[in-house]
Amino acid sequence: MIVVIGAGPGGLAAAEAAARNGSDVALIDSAPRIGGQYWRHRTEVSGYRNYRADALFAKIKASQSITYISEASVWSIERDGKLIRVNYLQGGTESSLTAEKLIIATGAYDRSLPFPGWNQPGSMTPGAVQALYKGHGVLAGKRIVVAGTGPFLLPVATALAEAGVEIVGLYEAHSPLRWALSPVALIFNLSKFAELIYYWRLLAKHGIRPQFGRAVTSFAHGRVTISHVNSDFHVKAKQGQIVEVDAVAVGWGFLPDLTLGGIAGCRQRVASDGTTVFDVDRNQLSSQPHIWIAGEATGIGGADLSLLEGEIAGLAASGQEIPSHLRIKRYAKEIFAQALSRSYPIRDGWKSWSNEETVICRCEEVTLSNIKESVVELGAEDSRTAKLFTRAGMGLCQGRICSRNVAEIVAGLTGCTVSDEERIASSNRPIAAPISLGLLGDGKK
Amino acid sequence: MSERVSFTFNGIQVQCESGQSIAAAVINTGTLALRTTRFGEEPRSIFCGIGICFDCVVVVDGVANQRACLVTAQSGMKVDSRS
Repeated sequence: MIVVIGAGPGGLAAAEAAARNGSDVALIDSAPRIGGQYWRHRTEVSGYRNYRADALFAKIKASQSITYISEASVWSIERDGKLIRVNYLQGGTESSLTAEKLIIATGAYDRSLPFPGWNQPGSMTPGAVQALYKGHGVLAGKRIVVAGTGPFLLPVATALAEAGVEIVGLYEAHSPLRWALSPVALIFNLSKFAELIYYWRLLAKHGIRPQFGRAVTSFAHGRVTISHVNSDFHVKAKQGQIVEVDAVAVGWGFLPDLTLGGIAGCRQRVASDGTTVFDVDRNQLSSQPHIWIAGEATGIGGADLSLLEGEIAGLAASGQEIPSHLRIKRYAKEIFAQALSRSYPIRDGWKSWSNEETVICRCEEVTLSNIKESVVELGAEDSRTAKLFTRAGMGLCQGRICSRNVAEIVAGLTGCTVSDEERIASSNRPIAAPISLGLLGDGKK
Repeated sequence: MSERVSFTFNGIQVQCESGQSIAAAVINTGTLALRTTRFGEEPRSIFCGIGICFDCVVVVDGVANQRACLVTAQSGMKVDSRS
């Protein structure tokens, strides 16, 4: 059996491809419906080229050899000789699947940067606003500001506007002129212009004018401060523009979800922008035998790249031939992914948005001054030591939200750069989902 | 989708559509804050919305640390900000 973890674009493509030669496939996902974050839906998928989702969903449903397991969270992966055991929780009960082969497609989540008030109710990630609306039909507010960096801000702002939300502002920190750095990526991906025009029309329809070189630098009780920032994210003028909103959706690109592959011992590397990703070969095979990884966990590149990586992983895992046109298409999307990170880099100036009392670790309520104290007065020289002194990154989310930010802040204070070892260490977690000791000790060999 | 679900949040009756998460149902009533923090007693709501950040954790039928953004609301549930 081939187990595919994650039913987003990457996992769906992997399951569909693997099942083409009749291989027995189990597709396991934590959500109630397939689609992942990008194709999240209640009744039907909406948005750009949504027919791709419909076609893939139909194939998965029609396939006799795919078993779909929903609302199940995988909490550990074990090796049992040549077999791989995937342990999961579903509705409070523990079960497991035994597979010969495993494909991990766990996707990514929004990257967040701290600013005063980012922990207040009403401040959330674009992904959260999107999940509330697409998954549950609930709007986070009537007046919303969408801000941060990267192309994902466009589908979020336009989907909300289509749903009747007043988009008070759409603020992109970088200049679109940065795309001039990547002419080759644009030539190889001309279809992206069609996507841009699609969003541009929607923005125009709702009268939304994106503004560049601006960032949300504070939020308090429904008042959000929009500041002009320069290319390294430092605030240019002291006085920002204040806008009244119900909610603010701020996102700074994405972080791959590395938890399950990390538990399985798959080797990681640090990409040029400092993001920890999985190291895979040309067939998406990880460093671990019989474990393939596809989608955002091997590097942030969007749904198009995830679909191709998933298809290649599915074909490889089921022993089918991989047509060379898939690898060529993947190469074009990889060039585009590199252009994305070149066009929307996260610059150090974000650290200056926080004041002493700004919470950096949301779970453990650790402030910037707590972290400074651990470095200046207690002598912490790296983020691990600072974490032990302050508990930053030791809360329920296990540092998924703050560990990268804490590492960067500590590095800034000590005048060092964050080492690759530190980046990889802070990206790994021993247990994927919270599980009670009772369940852990109950009936497992 | 039209089936209605009714549960309590901090003792107050909340109605929602079947399939909606606890967080979505509560936010739809106009209440953003789902809990207050342990140390600073500050209000918190959903942040990542997809089960990563654990900022929306509530007590569901006596079981603590349940992510309100992931748990589907069921009729008769007793949801509280703290135990």
